[in-house]
Parts: sequence; C-alpha cells; structure tokens
Amino acid sequence: MAGSSTRRSRVLHVALGRADYEWTLDLQRTLHARRRDGAIADVVLTVEHNPVITFGRSGSRDHLLATDGELRREGIEVFDVERGGDVTYHGPGQLVVYPIVDLREHGRDVKRFVAGLEATTIGTLDRLGIDAARRDGFPGVWVGDRKIASIGVYVRGWVTRHGLALNVAVNPSHFAMIRPCGLPIRTVSIAEIVGRAVPLGQVLERFVDGLRAEFGWDLDPVGLTEVLDTEAVA
Amino acid sequence: METQLEIRLPDLGDVDMVRVVAWLVEAGTSVAEGDDLVEVETEKTTFVVPAPFAGRLVEVVAAEGATLERGGLLGRIEHPA
Repeated sequence: MAGSSTRRSRVLHVALGRADYEWTLDLQRTLHARRRDGAIADVVLTVEHNPVITFGRSGSRDHLLATDGELRREGIEVFDVERGGDVTYHGPGQLVVYPIVDLREHGRDVKRFVAGLEATTIGTLDRLGIDAARRDGFPGVWVGDRKIASIGVYVRGWVTRHGLALNVAVNPSHFAMIRPCGLPIRTVSIAEIVGRAVPLGQVLERFVDGLRAEFGWDLDPVGLTEVLDTEAVA
Repeated sequence: METQLEIRLPDLGDVDMVRVVAWLVEAGTSVAEGDDLVEVETEKTTFVVPAPFAGRLVEVVAAEGATLERGGLLGRIEHPA
C-alpha cells in the first residue's frame, strides 16, 4: 500500500452487497479464526441481509412477537448468535457492518471500540441532517425515543466480530415482529425521517468515510477473494 | 503440593460493570492456558475470557448473572506445582 498523507492503519473493506445471514455468519467465523491466527489483515465487512431475526446471548424468545406461520410467510429466518444483546431484526434496507479487527492493535479497549461505532453512526446521520444520540441505559443509537441502529459485538482472543445495523429503509411490519431489548421500543429508518428514498449505497459510503475519520482505518476496498488469499497483506 | 490461583477479569479498557453470561467449562475441569473459560458481557459486547494459566478449575466465584467491577474475581484454578 502506498503510504499517502496521514498515518492510517491497514484495515480492508469488503462490500458484500446482498447476502444471507447464515452465509455471512460462517464467513465472519472463518475470517475471525484467520485473523486470530494472524493469517489475514483486519477487515470490515458491509452487507445487506435477507430478512432474519437473531437472538444475542441475553436474548429471550418472549421478545419474538410473530408466529412461525407469519415468519414463514415473510421468508424470515431465526438464529441464535454469540454476540451481546437481545433480539435483532436484519433485512433489506438496512446497512450492516461487521468489523473483524484485532483490538490489541486498536487501543485494547472494548468500550472505546463500541463508542467509536456509535460515534460513526451518529456522524453519518448528522450528515444526512438527522439528530441522533446515545441513550443512557439503552444500547444502540436513537432518534428521540426511536431506535435507528443496533449494536452487538463479540470478542474472542481480542478479535471482534458482529457489529452494528443501521436502518436506512426497513420494512416497518418486519420490525413489529420483535420487541427489541425486550422493551416496547419503536424503531425507525432514515427514509422515514427524511421523508424520501435514500439509497443504501449512499449511506454506506458515508459510513465508511466516518469509520476512516473515527478510527484512522484506511478501509481500502477489496474483493473477498483477495482477503481470503492474502498472506502477503498481514 | 498444589497452588490455587485467582482468575480475575482481564483489563477490557475503560469499562465499569461486567456481567457474567456463561461459564464455558464446569468446575472440576482441566484447562490449558488460553482455553475459552467464561463469557462476560459489557458495553454491548460479549467478551470471551481465556484461562490465564493451565490447571483445574476448582471454583466458580462469579456465577452466571453475577456482576463484577474491574479486576473482579471470576474463579480459582488449581495449578500443580
């Protein structure tokens, strides 16, 4: 890599486009293991999932409000995953970001890492004219009392996986199928607030710029095959 | 002669309260250094605490659901001297 202006740390960016949750989860686990072995560089995956409901470590099935029939009809899958947090919905119109980075090389501070993801989300929304904030005692990022982004990270061997999901233009009837964090929380998308269609790609671009500014990562766009075949990069 | 060594929360950075989510090994089990020992949750993050040394997990001090402050005691490992 050409060392351009300021000092940036080497973190790759793979934009996966639209992908199934389960496939992406397997990919995260593979990349996570290879990052722990030092076989690959840090990488950030961005993706838009097909509809799925996932339960984190503190998730309760009581927070799923849809019946099996409703889920089947809407083509929504359900998974238990190892990230922190409760129930979450992912689907079309949502920007999902999975950083697979070794925190020992980025400050070794779990709280700072999560705060950085939140700050990036808030900054991205600010550039779209949306005033978002953290709420004490409530995970995620909020616009007033409505949740616009979910955060849940998993760290093993100091390497992260999972991450955050930002609602750009999500089907509200799918959100109504869960009770996020077990609370009667209202969820909202960017498109709903600004009152017009917002392309996911535009939000993605701004978010990646935000990560560069927040963490000092270079986030060179690469293809997945380059990451999986990159002993030379690490 | 065996020594009992304390397993304490590793330094996760500037975090306050940490909750024990799940022990991944049962008391009485032998572990190698670096084995996954217990999952804790803080700041929207699940963190897998590795065994700080080899030995037998003899006591779980912080049970699942317990909350700990920085450097809190998780359990004890008996280390063959």
